[in-house]
Amino acid sequence: MSGAFGDDVRLAGEALWKVLVASLVLGAGLPAVFALGIRSLAWGAGGEAVDGGTGTAASSGNPVGKVLAVILFLVVAYGIVAGLVFVIASGQGKDISFGHIIPTITAKS
Amino acid sequence: MSAETLTLVLVVVTALGFDFTNGFHDTGNAMATSIATGALKPRVAVAISAVMNLVGAFLSVSVALTVTNAVVKTFDSSATSATDALTVPGDVLLAIVLAGLIGGIVWNMLTWLLGLPSSSSHALFGGLIGATIASLGWNGVNWVGDGTQPDGVVGKILLPAVASPLVAGLVAGTGTWLIYRIIVGVAARFTESGFRWGQVGTASLVSLAHGTNDAQKTMGVITLALIATGRWTSLTSIPFWVKLSCAVAIAAGTYIGGWRIIRTLGKGLVEIESPQGVAAESASAAVILASSHLGFALSTTHVATGSILGTGLGKPGAEVRWGVAGRMGVGWLLTLPAAAIVGAAMWGLGNLFGLAVGSIVEFAVLAVVAGYLFTRSRRTPVGAHNVNDEWESTTASPNTPTGAAV
Repeated sequence: MSGAFGDDVRLAGEALWKVLVASLVLGAGLPAVFALGIRSLAWGAGGEAVDGGTGTAASSGNPVGKVLAVILFLVVAYGIVAGLVFVIASGQGKDISFGHIIPTITAKS
Repeated sequence: MSAETLTLVLVVVTALGFDFTNGFHDTGNAMATSIATGALKPRVAVAISAVMNLVGAFLSVSVALTVTNAVVKTFDSSATSATDALTVPGDVLLAIVLAGLIGGIVWNMLTWLLGLPSSSSHALFGGLIGATIASLGWNGVNWVGDGTQPDGVVGKILLPAVASPLVAGLVAGTGTWLIYRIIVGVAARFTESGFRWGQVGTASLVSLAHGTNDAQKTMGVITLALIATGRWTSLTSIPFWVKLSCAVAIAAGTYIGGWRIIRTLGKGLVEIESPQGVAAESASAAVILASSHLGFALSTTHVATGSILGTGLGKPGAEVRWGVAGRMGVGWLLTLPAAAIVGAAMWGLGNLFGLAVGSIVEFAVLAVVAGYLFTRSRRTPVGAHNVNDEWESTTASPNTPTGAAV
């Protein structure tokens, strides 16, 4: 009993560690990228949109900000699409490979 | 109609009833934060969540026949044919499943009445454990795993219950902290609209994941009952009508909206702003998806609650109502034993009368209890109209049976 209990704790701990790392990257990383996108958008719009934090006075608009915002939102969109494909694929008993940037669905090994 | 067929029909109806309570009990997991911040109107939020749950339920074609096996030794998963796989006689199994489901439903409805977001999976497992102990004794319960993967009551229930809210809280707290660092000084017109969109997206993802995870538990239970009565023989597929009815039941439950629980999660625990909502739902989605991929069983309720607490801790100056969190914690601790007691009592009651009559008696008791709890809830109704009212004003309501939520 105690041996099996120990096994459960050890195995759960191993799985948990991976869950934590993956979740930090996707669950905290992507929202941070999203926030950067919103900041870029505000920076691109200029005017009173951004003040304080950057240490610079409110400035006029900057097209670089808009481009940057689009790129950052695309990164987030990619993350969400990958997540959706992941839900669908694992529901269908398939594995999913992120080795080719575009998520690839493969038969579960 | 034979006694066995009658019991089977009652098991199927009760299982769909459980699936329905599972739906409304967990609407808040995905949608509470979006409703609280006003990113979505309450009715729209539950409608989106219901659709995503329906879609999610259909996407989950993986066979969850072994779902009961996590806690009850009913099924030999190494067997090649369905009839060989059962380790207990079919009628014994039916009695356990029916009593267990009733235990789960009763606890789900009671916690809903109290506005407590407790785990529907724990309620189901608790009911099954209680019925199994009453029927087969302590050794009928799968307490620990076999050393190859986290399994049994310890590996599939107790450890995840402790660990998953902590992980979700850590992720949500980190996300919240990062977001607020990044958006310092950005005008509210950018942050408000941007993060509201983010909330809608992440909440939908959580709903979808919920549909795939939770609906298949009921699908597994019903299919197991069909196997127990010799009406289904495949171990690698489930009947289409089972999938359809479970998907519709969980979506309908979601659409009804467990407003009492939505209110506790969205308003009671932490006052939530849009960026926190994004952080919380992202964390929930990531933890649920990563866990299901890595075979780490967990409850979406525990994850969602951990995420919301975490986002309260991650924002400097945000207030977390620890009293509410404490009540929820007590609810979580009680879920397994309380549902187990109901499950065991139901099994004992049914056993007095034999399978067929016993099933009818159990079902009648369930109907009476559920009816009473529902009537009780009408005294202090919570719905789309008042789900977002200030938390403090309702806690002082003299009509509130427990002196807190709803």
